[in-house]
Amino acid sequence: MKTDNTDYEYNEDAQGKQIAALLDEKAQRLSLRVLKQLEDGRNQAVNRHQKQQGSTVNADGTLSHWVSWADHHRVAMAGLALAVLVSAFLIMQSMSANETSDAFLLGADLPPEAFVDKGFEPALNQSASL
Amino acid sequence: MASSQELSDFLRDVERRAFKQTAYAVRDDHAAMDIVQDAMLKLADKYPDKPVTEYPMLFQRILQNTMRDFWRRQKVRALWTTLLSSFSTQSDDGEARDPLDTMDVDDGSQNPATQLEGSQTLQVIETALQKLPARQREAFVLRYWEKMSVAETAESMGCSEGSVKTHCSRALHTMAALLAQQGLGTVKELNT
Repeated sequence: MKTDNTDYEYNEDAQGKQIAALLDEKAQRLSLRVLKQLEDGRNQAVNRHQKQQGSTVNADGTLSHWVSWADHHRVAMAGLALAVLVSAFLIMQSMSANETSDAFLLGADLPPEAFVDKGFEPALNQSASL
Repeated sequence: MASSQELSDFLRDVERRAFKQTAYAVRDDHAAMDIVQDAMLKLADKYPDKPVTEYPMLFQRILQNTMRDFWRRQKVRALWTTLLSSFSTQSDDGEARDPLDTMDVDDGSQNPATQLEGSQTLQVIETALQKLPARQREAFVLRYWEKMSVAETAESMGCSEGSVKTHCSRALHTMAALLAQQGLGTVKELNT
């Protein structure tokens, strides 16, 4: 019984392949216009693939890679991390400068208001030059 | 990761079959060409990092999905056409034919009698293939024309292996019956 089933499936497979071979033969005889359109579509797809892989076609038909598309997100992440680090450094610098000026103002002999009073300017300039 | 050369070779190998398979499914050569070109671009755009060994399965899946999108759009368009058809009485069938459209690439290797018999058989098979239900046609095309295994076909179609076998068997019987009706015996053995 099982042998019958196997034989039947084998026959079906053989017939299927026979029909597919006929269809395949027909598919090889397409009109010139269709072949041209298929070629255009293929070239367009290959060009996009090349762009995504960051490669360009050289004059001799070989591909030259300058940056891989797959690496783009890594470059972006590295740039972002660098920007965060630089921003953090600048903020720290700014806070440090504020703290220094506050300490100077609070530690000076004159009251803080004196530094915005124009009447004290000659005295302040004199002490700075000393 | 597949190189551009590998992609090019793969597409060159499958493009003719893909076009004919799509044309049998949608019964419109222009639409079939759009679908195949669209599928090629989608493969290059979405899967540039996949190895070339995965391309056959991926391409077939993209092709089948693009065909389904086409049918969905056709359904909506048909609805609007039906609604608006009462307002239009003119036919727009005046497009000029280009001789290149009908000029086949003939290899001239067969004699006329063989060619006639072959073309009759092929015509019946093509008609039968067009008339098959979509799932049966898809199973037949993937299993026999694309030479996928039952397991691969099942994976590509998103169904069980048993369903693939059933779809293929029914498709072959339909074709056999049509060929027998026409007195063409290429697949007669199936009916015995």
